[in-house]
Amino acid sequence: MTAQTANARSERDSPAGPGSYLLIESKGNWAGPTAGAFLRDAVVLAEAGHRVRVFLVEDGVFSAVGNEVAEIERLAELGAEILVDDFSAAQRALGATTLSPHASLVGMDVIAAALSEDDCRGVWH
Amino acid sequence: MAGTMERRMWDLLLILTTAPHSSDVVTSALRLSQAVLDRGGSVRVWACGYATMMTQDTFGDTKLPNTRDPEGYYPSPSAVVQRMITDGEGRFGWISCTACTEERGSTHHIPQVRHRSPLRLATTVTSAKQTLYLGGA
Repeated sequence: MTAQTANARSERDSPAGPGSYLLIESKGNWAGPTAGAFLRDAVVLAEAGHRVRVFLVEDGVFSAVGNEVAEIERLAELGAEILVDDFSAAQRALGATTLSPHASLVGMDVIAAALSEDDCRGVWH
Repeated sequence: MAGTMERRMWDLLLILTTAPHSSDVVTSALRLSQAVLDRGGSVRVWACGYATMMTQDTFGDTKLPNTRDPEGYYPSPSAVVQRMITDGEGRFGWISCTACTEERGSTHHIPQVRHRSPLRLATTVTSAKQTLYLGGA
């Protein structure tokens, strides 16, 4: 069991119960040796029973192209929401037809609403 | 009897450390800020590092003329921030980190910008319901 998994399980088993996370990925999946680690963190949180929403913005939208990013597929299996910034996708000529069927194009208003929820923990990467 | 001072809580704090034009992050920060303002919420931006350059008064109100669109209006970064502060009517604030400002010589800010020492960053974080750190030095 990894430290991340241990921490997530510890949190899940805490009296506070499952949390709600909005994880915002702005880096592309080629961004460096740690690329993908943030999405793997999202997977760990979802596996631990937390509500997870992943918002892909800027170069992060490339993780939602096609269905070849394993973390996106796993997150979808776990019921996590995959949100893709409509502006960033349009800037990169990505239409809904090129994106994973698990992804939803959304505007920044959806993210503003999510961040205003009392129990939502937002993290930007 | 001395009264107690109630600290204002902001809905969102964005700690912006990346340099303008280094990526899309400043655009994202401003878009997210505007979306929160459109919902009636409040946003404060803490500009660190080269992000402190955005609010220099030496930019003037517009960017250099676009030769392909000479009649077009292209506001400068400081004009965009200034307009958001004005339109926000107290719900949008911009803080410039004094250490980063002085280190870069970016000391001539538009008057609406507040100046804070990095020693007050923790206090600023505790005055927000939600904080996002938009990194990149």
